[in-house]
Amino acid sequence: MSATTAGSHGGVYNDKVVRQFAIMTVVWGIVGFLVGVIIAAQLAWSELNFGIEYLTYSRLRPLHTNAVIFAFGGSALFATAYYVVQRTCQTTLFAPALASFTFWGWQAVIVLAAITLPLGITSGKEYAELEWPIDLLIAAVWVAFAVVFFGTIGTRKVRHIYVANWFYGAFIIAVAMLHIVNSAAIPVSFWKSYSAYAGVQDAMVQWWYGHNAVGFFLTAGFLGMMYYFIPKQAERPVYSYRLSIVHFWALIFTYMWAGPHHLHYTALPDWAQSLGMVFSLILLAPSWGGMINGIMTLSGAWHKLRDDPILRFLIVSLSFYGMSTFEGPMMSIKTVNALSHYTDWTIGHVHSGALGWVGLVTMGSMYYLIPRLFGQKQMYSVKAIELHFWVATIGIVLYIAAMWIAGVMQGLMWRAVNPDGSLTYTFVESVKASYPFYVIRLLGGVLYLAGMFVMAWNVWKTATQGKIEPVAIPAPAH
Amino acid sequence: MEILYLLIPLSVVLVLLIIGVFWWALQSGQFDNIEREGERILRQD
Amino acid sequence: MVADDFAVLDDPLEQQAFTQASEADDGFVNESVLMVQGMYCAACADTVESALARCPGVLEAQVHAATRRLTLRWDPARTRLSELAQAVGRTGYRLLPMQQALGVSERVKETRQALWRLFVAGFCMMQVMMYTWPEYVTAPGEIPADIVQLLRWASWVLSLPVMLFASGPFFASAWRDLRQGRIGMDTPVSIGILVTFVASSLATFDPTGPWGQDIWFDSLTMFVFFLLGGRYLELKLRDRTAGALDALMNRLPEQCERERPDGTVERVSLKRLQVGDVVRVEAGQAFPGDGTVLSDAATVDEALLTGESHPITRRRGGAVVAGSYNLGGTVRVRIDRLGRDTRFAQIVSLMEQASTEKPRLARLADRIAAPFLVLVLLAAALSALLWWSVDPHRAVATAVAVLIVTCPCALSLATPAAMLASAGALARRGILTRRLQAFEALAAVDTVVFDKTGTLTQDRVVVREVRVRDGWTVERALRAAAPLARASLHPVSRALVARFEDTAAGDGPAPLLEVAETPGRGLTARDTEGHEWRLGSAAHCGLDEAALVQVGRSVADMPCAYLADAHGWVATFVLDEGVRPDARAAIERLRALGLRVHLLSGDRLGAALRVARPLGIDTVVAEASPERKLEQVARWQAGGHRVAMVGDGLNDGPVLARADVSFALGHGAPLTQTRADFVVQSGRLSDVVFVVEQARATMRIVRQNLAWAAGYNAISVPLALVGWMPPWAAGLGMAASSLLVIGNAMRLSRMVAKALSNGLPAVAAPTPTPV
Repeated sequence: MSATTAGSHGGVYNDKVVRQFAIMTVVWGIVGFLVGVIIAAQLAWSELNFGIEYLTYSRLRPLHTNAVIFAFGGSALFATAYYVVQRTCQTTLFAPALASFTFWGWQAVIVLAAITLPLGITSGKEYAELEWPIDLLIAAVWVAFAVVFFGTIGTRKVRHIYVANWFYGAFIIAVAMLHIVNSAAIPVSFWKSYSAYAGVQDAMVQWWYGHNAVGFFLTAGFLGMMYYFIPKQAERPVYSYRLSIVHFWALIFTYMWAGPHHLHYTALPDWAQSLGMVFSLILLAPSWGGMINGIMTLSGAWHKLRDDPILRFLIVSLSFYGMSTFEGPMMSIKTVNALSHYTDWTIGHVHSGALGWVGLVTMGSMYYLIPRLFGQKQMYSVKAIELHFWVATIGIVLYIAAMWIAGVMQGLMWRAVNPDGSLTYTFVESVKASYPFYVIRLLGGVLYLAGMFVMAWNVWKTATQGKIEPVAIPAPAH
Repeated sequence: MEILYLLIPLSVVLVLLIIGVFWWALQSGQFDNIEREGERILRQD
Repeated sequence: MVADDFAVLDDPLEQQAFTQASEADDGFVNESVLMVQGMYCAACADTVESALARCPGVLEAQVHAATRRLTLRWDPARTRLSELAQAVGRTGYRLLPMQQALGVSERVKETRQALWRLFVAGFCMMQVMMYTWPEYVTAPGEIPADIVQLLRWASWVLSLPVMLFASGPFFASAWRDLRQGRIGMDTPVSIGILVTFVASSLATFDPTGPWGQDIWFDSLTMFVFFLLGGRYLELKLRDRTAGALDALMNRLPEQCERERPDGTVERVSLKRLQVGDVVRVEAGQAFPGDGTVLSDAATVDEALLTGESHPITRRRGGAVVAGSYNLGGTVRVRIDRLGRDTRFAQIVSLMEQASTEKPRLARLADRIAAPFLVLVLLAAALSALLWWSVDPHRAVATAVAVLIVTCPCALSLATPAAMLASAGALARRGILTRRLQAFEALAAVDTVVFDKTGTLTQDRVVVREVRVRDGWTVERALRAAAPLARASLHPVSRALVARFEDTAAGDGPAPLLEVAETPGRGLTARDTEGHEWRLGSAAHCGLDEAALVQVGRSVADMPCAYLADAHGWVATFVLDEGVRPDARAAIERLRALGLRVHLLSGDRLGAALRVARPLGIDTVVAEASPERKLEQVARWQAGGHRVAMVGDGLNDGPVLARADVSFALGHGAPLTQTRADFVVQSGRLSDVVFVVEQARATMRIVRQNLAWAAGYNAISVPLALVGWMPPWAAGLGMAASSLLVIGNAMRLSRMVAKALSNGLPAVAAPTPTPV
């Protein structure tokens, strides 16, 4: 219902915390992509490990993943969630002190990660490497996040809860559940703990977490972003609002069972693997539903893509989303997985989703958001946005093409057998053969990082030329 | 596969919770006027 | 800007219909349900809400864009509805009381409940499928027994909401049928659900028992989900149709001017009128009650009630009927009968009564339900018997399997799927379907009865021919007549003006002075040069009609209007009711389909025959009152015929209610439209033919679906009997079978699309109907 309640509104939106997170998104983007470039270089030239333990690939890789997912992606989600929930509920943030805590707490988590991971302090669980004290801090920040977000919804002045908020809400609750279950551990010292689960049980929980982290952190949350910023930038409503709601409900629960597809041909029972495969395939439908809904929002206004690079970021991000959500289910089919598992194809898949979907939708959304946070109508330089778009896209294409070729090649090489049954290639031979592709991938990553520098410059100019002015919450009569 | 003793009951609870949330959404009229809501954000600020 | 006088909304008597008061902390709060007229987009709804939110005394304003419904909570101590309506009026929208306010809320609640059940069924279905999947893809023993048990337990838990809540409607309906000693489609459905759940529960908690160890929770939940899906769609269709029809009924409560004893005049709501009041009815208004004319004369249009195609003159002391329209100037009338006692109300109550006497066609699906159930139970018993001698342990389990496998899913979906597809297709063409079962009734119809005025004919008179004085042209005659005709609401005058505007005869008509209308006779005017002009009946123009006919200046047996100036006869305008251009083709097509076509009219025999003969109609019954019409239809029905009736006016109401199937045309009386089975909004008769063909196609598809469902069951029973139907196969078979039925039904939407593009007998070129 579209109830509009009578009575006056005072007040301004709480954009301070939004601004803080938005700026840090750009900062952490540079940090995360830079570490990525470093480790890509190390894979091509292992001398770059320098024999220094803090700089070894094995320690820097988790720093990279945590920085890009939680620092870059996380800050973007915080910034946009706080912005969107206020604007769509026509009210200011609930418990602003807690909101501020989430900012400083989250930055603390990132800094602690940046310190502990190179020091080798790790739980060994992928995308959940941080040790238990930091896990506790994450939990505290997350609870505060939930209170602020749901509290804001609870005090909303508009009866209907816009669909983006459902995605953000699901993301927050799911991540809470995943984090608590997966990070359950028994501490033995301040910086060391053992997982509450063991062996293949732990693997199951880990990948239940891992895939749902992708599903809820990297997908649901960013879909919330997409459902707000694409209509706002395109100045058109979502193609089918009804579809977006169906999309939401269909997505959240099909995701829960796709986890086992990470464990094909492992010790996990066959039937559990099959379950994962089937539900990963089913996941294709709701994912594409969302993609089509977002892209078709431009139906009748495709010409806007010609002139508006921000819209291009947003729409192209959806194409990569579609591609990844098609590639993913394909790769979860056991026969395909038999070729792709442990190869660089998996890396290619991850990065098409990460660079293509998560990265581009974040950049597009930030380009919409940041000027408005500094009292401007648009970024300092639209041409720079254009440049960023092309540099980033070319970077992505180089990256994923290189990884596809490398991945398939590795898979084929590993399984090649001679007539007498012995392996045709040694493992090292496949590594050597991958070298040129690692270099190309590095180039792709460098381009992607360069684009981020362009963005940082643009943001700097916009912020320093802008004025921070409080934005009043509109009264109902308008 | 004892971990399923955790994961499966957890999923049952989740389903019941989700059903509860849907019930709340339905009763509070969240699905009553769908056509308009997509445009509402364009009119705000 | 909408500047109506909304004072009538404050009248407590009026407010009762759409406002409820409730107590609040400090006084009362009113909740009113109104309709917003003039909205065409979502932003409009916002405008209305904002305008109201700004008004003091408004607590909450919600506009539901799709149905244009406004729910308003306001404080009667601080504001009045008229003020609120004016505030909205300033933004350009008109508030009208929602006539069926209660009915609408009931409907919304019901549909919401249906969506809720559907969601629960669907959600649980997905999860249960996930839990049962492992058992299907593994060999027995591959999964540790305790995990299997865990999965089964989880499936059982999530099947509970589906059993206890989502399936409610089936159990309720089967129970109702049982109490009345009937077996309907919901009986085998309910038995199927119950048996499946009980057997599966027992298999879960006692796998070594006689009930077997197969679980069928996924079939159960899928089954319920599909059926609920069908019902939900039916409700959505009902809401859309009802919403469209409700909108017709929403009008500002009518007011009229009542004379006080001292001769002054006050505006009052019609509800406040009493017998003996003297009211002033303006031109174009309907008479609020049966009454006696106090003015010299009144020209009234009773077509909506009686079917009379000609306006009637009532002199002082004559009677006028509630619901008829005043065509002339303001008329003073004394009210003799109001409300229930009026002729209008009598017709309405006749209509209500007739609808209870409407012949009921037992649904095809319901008729098969009983034999189907018997067969299923027999098959189960048979299988138990057969297995008892071979391996008693499996007897019960196999019997259960047979029962479950003969899922009445496809059977239950066969009919609604087809009817919904057709109804949706018709809706796209502008035809509303109010009662889905009407498709079945229509396919069985062998007689089609038409009303005349407004149904076979257009709801206006047309000028067929113009004969003019030597030296004059038709255009000139029209140009001369137009200024007189413009001054009157009389259908003849309107026809002349229409004809004039069609010919677009050069420059505008010459201005005239002192136009005066004499009811029942005609118009008189003086032009700028002082010459007198007369337009109207022969007598009014001082002409001898018979003499004119003899010299060929006029036509016998047809209504004519004459134009005369100071010199005498100028022109004759030969009038006729405009028969709809597509009537001829439509009736031919109906007869080609094997239907007999009759005409039932309240108008005079001559007028009726003039319309019926060229159209090739079999039988004509004329001068029929609503009672007489009803009697005729009942007689046909008693003779074993199945009758479809097509009408528009209120006088058709009772016979539409009694006929096996009824069509109302879109321009007709709102009350008639809200009771008819099909509402043809375009008013085109070719659309009526279209619905008949669509109904036959629908029943063809229904029969195909039922045949398929029967065939599927025929195959699966033997398979289940020999134990070759494991749960996964049953689930798959049921899903495939249901989807097939739905897919087959979807063909009906495409049939419409194809027919539209091939072009059904399109609107034929107007053919002059011979006398």
